[in-house]
Amino acid sequence: MIRYILKKTVLMVSVLFVVVSVTFFIAHMLPGDPVSLWLGEHPTKEQIKMAQKELGFDKPKTIQFYRFIENLIKGDMGISLRTRQPVIEELGARFLATLELVTISMFFALFIGFPMAVVTVLKEGKAIDTLIRVFGYVGMSFPVFWLGMLLQIVFFGLLGWLPLQGRLSGDFSSVISTGSIFIDCILFGDWGLFFDAARHAILPVLTMTICITGIVIRTSRSALVNTMNEAYFLTYKSFGFTDFEIIKKSSYKNTLVPISTVLGLLYGMMLGGTFFIESIFDWPGLGHFGVLSITTGDFPSVIGVTIVYSTSYILINFIVDVLYFIIDPRTRI
Amino acid sequence: MEPFINFLQLKKSNLVAIVFLVLVFFLSVFVPFLSPYSDDIYGAVFFENKNQFPSASHWFGTDSAGRDVFTLTVYGAMSSFKVAFGVVFLSVLFGVPVGLIAGVSSGSKTDEVLMRTADGFLAFPPLVLPIIITTVLGPSLNNVIIGIAVSWFPWYARISRSQAIIIKSSDYVMISKSLGASKFHIIKNHILPNIVNPLFIQGSIDAGYAILTAAGLSFIGLGVQPPDVEWGLLINLARSQFLNNWWVMFFPGVFMVLSVVSFNIIGDGLREYYNREWDRV
Repeated sequence: MIRYILKKTVLMVSVLFVVVSVTFFIAHMLPGDPVSLWLGEHPTKEQIKMAQKELGFDKPKTIQFYRFIENLIKGDMGISLRTRQPVIEELGARFLATLELVTISMFFALFIGFPMAVVTVLKEGKAIDTLIRVFGYVGMSFPVFWLGMLLQIVFFGLLGWLPLQGRLSGDFSSVISTGSIFIDCILFGDWGLFFDAARHAILPVLTMTICITGIVIRTSRSALVNTMNEAYFLTYKSFGFTDFEIIKKSSYKNTLVPISTVLGLLYGMMLGGTFFIESIFDWPGLGHFGVLSITTGDFPSVIGVTIVYSTSYILINFIVDVLYFIIDPRTRI
Repeated sequence: MEPFINFLQLKKSNLVAIVFLVLVFFLSVFVPFLSPYSDDIYGAVFFENKNQFPSASHWFGTDSAGRDVFTLTVYGAMSSFKVAFGVVFLSVLFGVPVGLIAGVSSGSKTDEVLMRTADGFLAFPPLVLPIIITTVLGPSLNNVIIGIAVSWFPWYARISRSQAIIIKSSDYVMISKSLGASKFHIIKNHILPNIVNPLFIQGSIDAGYAILTAAGLSFIGLGVQPPDVEWGLLINLARSQFLNNWWVMFFPGVFMVLSVVSFNIIGDGLREYYNREWDRV
């Protein structure tokens, strides 16, 4: 067990290193002149020289890379050229906003999707089976941003029930200490603010949930069908147990294995989705920040965002691998 | 031709999906000649007709520059089909040889190096790599295709590798090998014919997702640029007034959803069809 985790950890760190280096060199090819972004318009020659020295551009790429890695280990990702704040602080403030969105959506997608999959298997061929499968199909085929805009038209434009965008109605930034509004509100017992934040979160969470529930339904369904064809399932059946009883008692554990794999995939999908959802709903998270950084050519931020995204993606897949190991005894041989 | 007809007869949804895609494709080819508003495609503006609600003369209404949304939407299908075809083609072109070489020499250093490199591309979360690559290369339709294909080809390498390993160790290939068949011969005559089916299934499903991804890139301004017409771009352009003039963003999205669903149906239909063929043999 420990050897397995150790082996996986070494692999994970090396993959991370490759991802970081690739990102570094690609990001340095981003169009746009970082020096002029740093200095503003019409800089003098001396200023340009000073800035190049300050940003480390006078050194060869390999030395820049070495410096970068050295700083990264110390937790320093440089300074954003656009906002002039340390990148790590910019990311820290936004990471939790994104994590909040992704975690809540993941929770709903799993708790809606898995039971739906069980229903499709038990009621195969019935109308409800078709209905759920069509829902899954269509949900997966929605362009996230389009769905988000449609929901805005309906719930803000037509009905006026929910706010259009943002995370809160007013400016409550002074209240925030942990970065997660919901946790803050609970800590301070500020329920008015809690409901305000919840109202703002409904549309983005709904958009994301609809788009990923389809994947949960599809994969859980095929996992369930596979286990139902296995010998032990048929044996139980011959003893007179109903499908539902067998799934409840034993099969859901078998389906946990493929589902845990899907969790990794799902997480990746959601990270991608945040680029669009955050930009539509003006959600102050990583995706929103990432898009702004890319379009302005702010390469330290681009590298930072990519590292945070990739690290959490790789980390989740690592956790999934370990879970796999724990759930399925067969992988231990 | 016969397998194709069998495929269409297997399920009504297969037929509907194919008819829809073919119809949209031909419409997008001929719309510049058929539509009375064909100038709109090339960036003409008619401010006197702007933001009109869908009507008999403008089926899907007009946008903020007075352009006919129906004409634009149908014409935009061309870009999306180019993306769908281009991404799958490039991914197969690079992924399949990599996977085959790795699979035939499985367990060796070559296999290890090839597959670890391919896996490196998968370590990036989906969308991050396409976004960065299209930005570096410059936003355009072709670069969107390249950006998506670069991050997707490893999946094709994986599929071909796993198929190659299975087929390589089957008895008839072993016999062929013992008779002196070269690696190239085995790939060409035994493995390639056997990986076509899984590639068709994967390619069909991916074609739909390529359309979605490309539209997403265009939506955040990093993909297709005007005067090119593409669904994600149309939705992006409609963003400033979408609460009042919903039709401008609504119809391109509907076309997109229907196309992606169609590609998915065809992919699933193919899987079912091949499985059935397999059972019959």
